[in-house]
Amino acid sequence: MKPYSFSNGLGVSFFLILTSNVLAAPVAMQDVVTHEQLVLVRSKSDNLDPMKLLAETQGADPSVVNRPKSLLDQSDIICFGNFATLVPKRAILQIPKNLAGRIQIKPGVTIQSWSDFFAANRGWITTVEVSRTQAEGNAPIAEETATRISKSSNLIVATYLGGPISVLPIKVAVDKNSKISKP
Amino acid sequence: MKTIFFRLITLGVVGCSCISAQTYTNYIRQTQMPAGVTWDASDTVAASGTQLSALIINPGGARFDLWTLKSEPLTEYLLASSYVGTYIPISQIVIDTEDTYGKDLTASGSLPVNIPAKLRRTRADRPFTVYVTVGGMLSGATDPEASKSVKFLRHVQSYGTGVGVGLDRTQATLKSQSSITVNGLKTLTYSVTSIPGSNLSKLRGEERFSVYSLADYQAPESQLASEFIQVWPVADATISGITQNQEIRYAMPTLTLYYNDVYPDSRTYAQVYQGEQVLGTVGTVVTGSSLIWDAAEPKNDVLTLSDWDRFFTRDGRWTMEVVTETPFGSTRLAWVTFSLNRSIEVNGTSLTTIE
Repeated sequence: MKPYSFSNGLGVSFFLILTSNVLAAPVAMQDVVTHEQLVLVRSKSDNLDPMKLLAETQGADPSVVNRPKSLLDQSDIICFGNFATLVPKRAILQIPKNLAGRIQIKPGVTIQSWSDFFAANRGWITTVEVSRTQAEGNAPIAEETATRISKSSNLIVATYLGGPISVLPIKVAVDKNSKISKP
Repeated sequence: MKTIFFRLITLGVVGCSCISAQTYTNYIRQTQMPAGVTWDASDTVAASGTQLSALIINPGGARFDLWTLKSEPLTEYLLASSYVGTYIPISQIVIDTEDTYGKDLTASGSLPVNIPAKLRRTRADRPFTVYVTVGGMLSGATDPEASKSVKFLRHVQSYGTGVGVGLDRTQATLKSQSSITVNGLKTLTYSVTSIPGSNLSKLRGEERFSVYSLADYQAPESQLASEFIQVWPVADATISGITQNQEIRYAMPTLTLYYNDVYPDSRTYAQVYQGEQVLGTVGTVVTGSSLIWDAAEPKNDVLTLSDWDRFFTRDGRWTMEVVTETPFGSTRLAWVTFSLNRSIEVNGTSLTTIE
């Protein structure tokens, strides 16, 4: 038995004791196994299912109900020439009318990473670096930047450290003292 | 707010055997919980490697999804997904089989290490072992429920008659789900797969094991770790053109060898030896009967043997066997024993000629 350790990346290590590998070594020549023989083996295996030693739980299958949404559904596609790339929805802050036709996939294009696509299309794409709090909608984009965006004729993509990031609508602080006036 | 940097492991860009670096583009998306901000956490995602996430994770945690996109036709594959949070346990799953394909044989330590870009595999009649490690679990009375327990799931899914390309994994059968409430390693050994099918020797599909967090106000039940293995059918063979106990008087007949579902790493051949069949006998391999198969999925093949009398040095009883050698050992798939009598007896009186 040998100790084994691993780290969770947060500086915490866990030390465990392992048994030796439990798989048996391959055996000498055998005749091919039949379905009937495997029925017996599976029957025993089901009875000895090691998961039965753990507490059984119920509930919907999380791998189905909580499966991450489709990458394509949660992305906008920017396309030009024979290439296209994906950015998270809400990462595109401005689409000039003359560039609206480039926010859709065209048949036969090759998908590129954002960095490769952006490097080749800097002439009509401009990035705006945002902070995490701005992306979360907890802080507004600076007025100067917002003005620059509105005056730009380029497609504007929000980025965080160079990577496209979705920018949520600015959260409006709720004044608990305010009264809702009745019509 | 606490700054957390953690190591993001690119779990490999091979969700199925058809993916190559030239035609696929990889994306890593980081989704902050519960706000839902999504960030392209990657510049260019290599086929394997590690990198640190630079986006601070909120107390609610973040989910990391590794995708690959095929350009033509535009198709997406979710290769891996992992949720991390400040108080969410962490987990690791390793599946080991007798076939070392995809296993890092240079790794040291007691737990097996698998190569991210390769799929581990086994055969429908062979055992496999699942190592599940959970760490960082809390046990205090005031600790959140999601910090004190995780869900452990086992899914099985048949490929039918295919090889799993384009498989819709939401259609997998949830075989069982259990709760793990203590830190440490659990070793689960299964004698054979539980993939459904009418002929258990011909099953082809996959077994998937996953660990999920519990739902709380920050995030729904989210995947912490998940691994799967492919299961391929047991091969079979037919020797056609000769029957059991047939007496062969002249030339050996032309034979047809049907090899079905030979394992992805195998050598299949016919051998002959004198005498009745005895399992384990080493005979002479018949030239033209060998099939060496090194690929990602099983194979069917048909071989024809003709003009092969030279393998029989004398008359008598002979046995022909089809044998397949795999990482699981040697298996006799078919055999036939027959009698060979090529002597010509001339009956009648002697004749002489007078010039």
